[in-house]
Amino acid sequence: MKISLNWLNEYVDISEFIKAPEQLAEKLTQAGLEVESIENQSEQYKNIVIGEIIEKSQHPDADKLTLCQVKVEGSKVLPIVCGAKNHKQGDKVVVAMVGACLPGDFKIKKSKIRGVESQGMLRSEKELVLSEESSGIMILDGKASVGTAFAKAYGLDDVILDLSVTPNRADCLSHFGLAREIACLTKKSIKMPEANFQSSKQKTDVNVVLKNANDCPRYMGRSVFNVKVGPSPAWLKQRLESVDVNSINNIVDITNFVMLELGQPMHAFDSKLVEDNKIEISSSKKSEKFQTLDGTELELTGEELMIRDGKKPVAMAGVIGGKNSGVTETTKNIFLESAHFTPQTVRKSSRRFGIETDSGYRFSRGTDVEMTELALNRACHLIQQIAGGEVAVDFQDEYPNPEKKPVIDVHVNFVAQKLGYNVSPNDFEDGMKRVGCEVLDKDESGHFKFQTPQYRWDMDQDVDLVEEYGRIHGYEYIKETLPILTDRPSAQDTRYLLERDVESRMMECGYMQAVNYNFTSSVEQKALLGDVSAWNEYGLKLSDEDVKLLNPLNEDLDVMRRSHLPGLLKNLITNYRSGISYGRIYELGSIFHKKDYQEDLHLSMLSWGQAENLWQKNKKRPVVYDVKSAVEKLLNALGFTSFEWQLMKTAPSLLHPGQCVGLKLQGQLVGVVGSLHPRWIQENKIREDIAFAQINMEMIKNSYPKRANYKKISKQPYVERDLAFILQPDQNLGDILKEIKKVLKPDLKSIEVFDLYQGEKLAQGESSIALKMRFQTVDGTYTDQQLQELMQKAIKSAEKTGAKLR
Amino acid sequence: MKQKIDELLSQANEKIKMVADTKALYDLKVFFLGKQGEVTALMKELGKLPKEERPEWGQKINALKKQISELIDNQHKELELKELNQQIESEKLDLTLPGPQIEQGSRHPLSKVTEEIVEILSRIGFSVRSGPMIEKDWYNFEALNIPKDHPARDMQDTFYITEDHVLRTHTSPIQIHTMENEKPPIRILAPGSVFRCDSDISHSPNFYQIEALVVDQKVSMADLKGTISYFVKEFFGEEIKTRFRPSFFPFTEPSAEVDCSCPICKGKGCRTCKDTGWVEIGGSGLVNPKVFDYVKIDSKQWQGYAFGFGIERMAMIKYGIDDIRLFNENHIDFLKQFQ
Repeated sequence: MKISLNWLNEYVDISEFIKAPEQLAEKLTQAGLEVESIENQSEQYKNIVIGEIIEKSQHPDADKLTLCQVKVEGSKVLPIVCGAKNHKQGDKVVVAMVGACLPGDFKIKKSKIRGVESQGMLRSEKELVLSEESSGIMILDGKASVGTAFAKAYGLDDVILDLSVTPNRADCLSHFGLAREIACLTKKSIKMPEANFQSSKQKTDVNVVLKNANDCPRYMGRSVFNVKVGPSPAWLKQRLESVDVNSINNIVDITNFVMLELGQPMHAFDSKLVEDNKIEISSSKKSEKFQTLDGTELELTGEELMIRDGKKPVAMAGVIGGKNSGVTETTKNIFLESAHFTPQTVRKSSRRFGIETDSGYRFSRGTDVEMTELALNRACHLIQQIAGGEVAVDFQDEYPNPEKKPVIDVHVNFVAQKLGYNVSPNDFEDGMKRVGCEVLDKDESGHFKFQTPQYRWDMDQDVDLVEEYGRIHGYEYIKETLPILTDRPSAQDTRYLLERDVESRMMECGYMQAVNYNFTSSVEQKALLGDVSAWNEYGLKLSDEDVKLLNPLNEDLDVMRRSHLPGLLKNLITNYRSGISYGRIYELGSIFHKKDYQEDLHLSMLSWGQAENLWQKNKKRPVVYDVKSAVEKLLNALGFTSFEWQLMKTAPSLLHPGQCVGLKLQGQLVGVVGSLHPRWIQENKIREDIAFAQINMEMIKNSYPKRANYKKISKQPYVERDLAFILQPDQNLGDILKEIKKVLKPDLKSIEVFDLYQGEKLAQGESSIALKMRFQTVDGTYTDQQLQELMQKAIKSAEKTGAKLR
Repeated sequence: MKQKIDELLSQANEKIKMVADTKALYDLKVFFLGKQGEVTALMKELGKLPKEERPEWGQKINALKKQISELIDNQHKELELKELNQQIESEKLDLTLPGPQIEQGSRHPLSKVTEEIVEILSRIGFSVRSGPMIEKDWYNFEALNIPKDHPARDMQDTFYITEDHVLRTHTSPIQIHTMENEKPPIRILAPGSVFRCDSDISHSPNFYQIEALVVDQKVSMADLKGTISYFVKEFFGEEIKTRFRPSFFPFTEPSAEVDCSCPICKGKGCRTCKDTGWVEIGGSGLVNPKVFDYVKIDSKQWQGYAFGFGIERMAMIKYGIDDIRLFNENHIDFLKQFQ
């Protein structure tokens, strides 16, 4: 909200701050009214003065230029070259002298123009930011006094503050309101605006019928006759323009002025257009049409609070007036409205139609029900002064249930305890009086009963007074202590602990953590996931329906994510296009379900390319095995050592049907590891192998953390034996390992594949694998015969699956 | 006999010194001292001598054996050293070549900062709680004293899922869940993802917050400021100061914005603090008794404070990151900087 310091100065003496507005800004900010910017007009017009052309001659070397001798003060005359045509000798003009700075950071310097010295420039209205367009330089009337600073002569020496007012301080949304706050902070007195006028003999000729006192607790109105609608006087225009409000005509300007001055929005109706001389405050009718004063046609819903005359709606209460009843050049008699509408009703209407007005803003933040009367009088005062009307002898005031100001009981010790420092009863009482409270009762112990001021609707409980005292006394007095721990700390959240654990394990596995938005594009998500049931075969439990946002930021972020895939693939493309041909990233976070809006913790990994360097030349190694080993390392590290890989009949459409495997944990499928489908890789013009893994972490979360259980270690040395088998084309190693492990329990301590061969020496599709097994007894040593038996068992079980000993 | 002994000794002296490798030396050892060796043969001749001479010559042959043995050992040591030196010379490596790469992962700066904040505050008894991102209106607004159509709703641009479900606009609903489910005293931290309809260089529509809640018998603004000040010093540095400014949050009363002296310029003025020397880091206040009423905690018996920070903002200040969008682009050159 913009505040003019010159205007503010009319209600509270801030002359000391006009020269140092930063100090006032600091004071307000430290009291909770944050000043976002300070605009100092005189700074903008520094070194710009009024001058008189005492001599005008042709520039010796340029046809289109003139050389003027301009008097800027007493005997000081400056030579200035000017390209305009509308000036003559004797004109009073605006001179930007050396050192002046014009908008656009244009600095005036001493210069030579075509060989002739020029010590400044004559300015146009446009260049002075006084109008949008101008032809030629600005010529002032003869009365202007030479040498005066232009800013002062034209009232442009104002300072404008831009305040960010929190929703609880609606009382500060006006110049008078802010003056009242400054008076409280600086212990100064406040000056009330003049509101007296002469009333005529005529009576208010509009009858107010308040049908909805819930949404409109108070409605005041008064007629003014025979006004002369016309332009506003310069001072009024200037006040409005200083805070960026356009001047329309004197009557409308006065209603706006009163709103900016007192915070009470007002409206003026042309009495002639109010049919049946009746103003009724009631709800709209469903499907009824209403045209706002700016010409927009609305279809009402039956829920808006409207101001109606005998036949039709004439204004949307508190939001905007109707085109059918506003003040125009031909208006003679007016009916002035000064009402109190509740924030809820105004907020609803203004939100429904997206109409934001200064009036709606103030009402929806809460106006002062007691201000209606002063505002109405003030408007009558100004109208009589400016537009010369005759004010009706009486007024209408519908206020069926006068609001009760809250009474607050508080003890000074409570205030002191909450603020953490000593507070004396006298200081406290003084402070509360300054914020506008009335002392209803007090006792010697420091107990008070206060009545809060009507304009502070935000104050209704003891802690509000704690804040008020703390605020005006100064938050800098708050000490620094620590709260006493009165009980033992509680346990950490399991999900938090698991996430941190997974993050450090993934870092060990060489993966970088990505964080994407929790929402994504519905179209893209659908295209990438395809048939969700294919993913769910692998135990991922993805939702088959989107959780949609009612008001997405854009269509690329219109649903909650059901998988990390869309985000991670986007990251891959960004990285790949910037030349990063090798990457290991993962995301750990929620995915969403439509049902009950459930959120499941998932972990997804995406890897592309192989590092190739001096020691690692196997660039051909399929990336999917890297992902698989990261998953295994992670599960082992988290203590989930009993997992299995299970080949499945189908694969999700995004994954390679021949390179996809399920992860089984404690007998349950919980995830998938696979290569990306070559189609996707080609379509996205990527020349690297890409693999993906996704694990539903819910089961892991539910049994986390797993405590490591010590198993007794054997003192006996390991015995190693190797075996090689030939696998048939449709056979897989997993089955063989599973069988061998089963039969060699408990002697087999580990089994490792150390070679894989496919080629000339074997039939097409066959492969040879070499296995290294390690055996260990708890005590004693193996005899040759025992080892022989173990090997035979291994061979037999492998052969059962169709493999041949090599 | 004497002559033979002398001959063998001079022969050994000569041959042993000339040997060039340990293999040839071993052959010499066999030649002199082996079962069929010269010295052994000499020993066998001892029997031919008169009985009384045998001990004398026996001793002399033993001395010869010892001498040759020493010669061989010394030569062996010398040769070993020579061979080791040769091996060392031949095994010379260019250690300016790179080692095999150990793939280094990383942790997202948002996780890193969250963990750091949790670690600092865990030390004074705070424990983490979590909550859902899709919240009922009641948890996100009403129970936090933000009724429907209240002007305070304008403070946060909300994403709606249904009329009654929103994407949480702050982590404060976790306070409500905790106060509903647990009995005071309470001392918790709630980190999490939050949402606002806003997107530019300094606003993300989906960003991270962390907030703290204490509920106990007596809790003051000084306790609040002391806790934040402790945190700020641990997180940004010992010399960083904390300042409160009055503000408004519907769920706290009194409320305060929290500023800290600019960690970048140490308060001298820079771009980050817009030359003010202070940066705004979060909001705080004493729990509004109205919030206790909503969760049915007796506000006569219990008091509380709450404060919250934007995690992106903390990371931006701490690491000097100047564009919030970097956090979600996940560029590897960005990610790898945080480990």
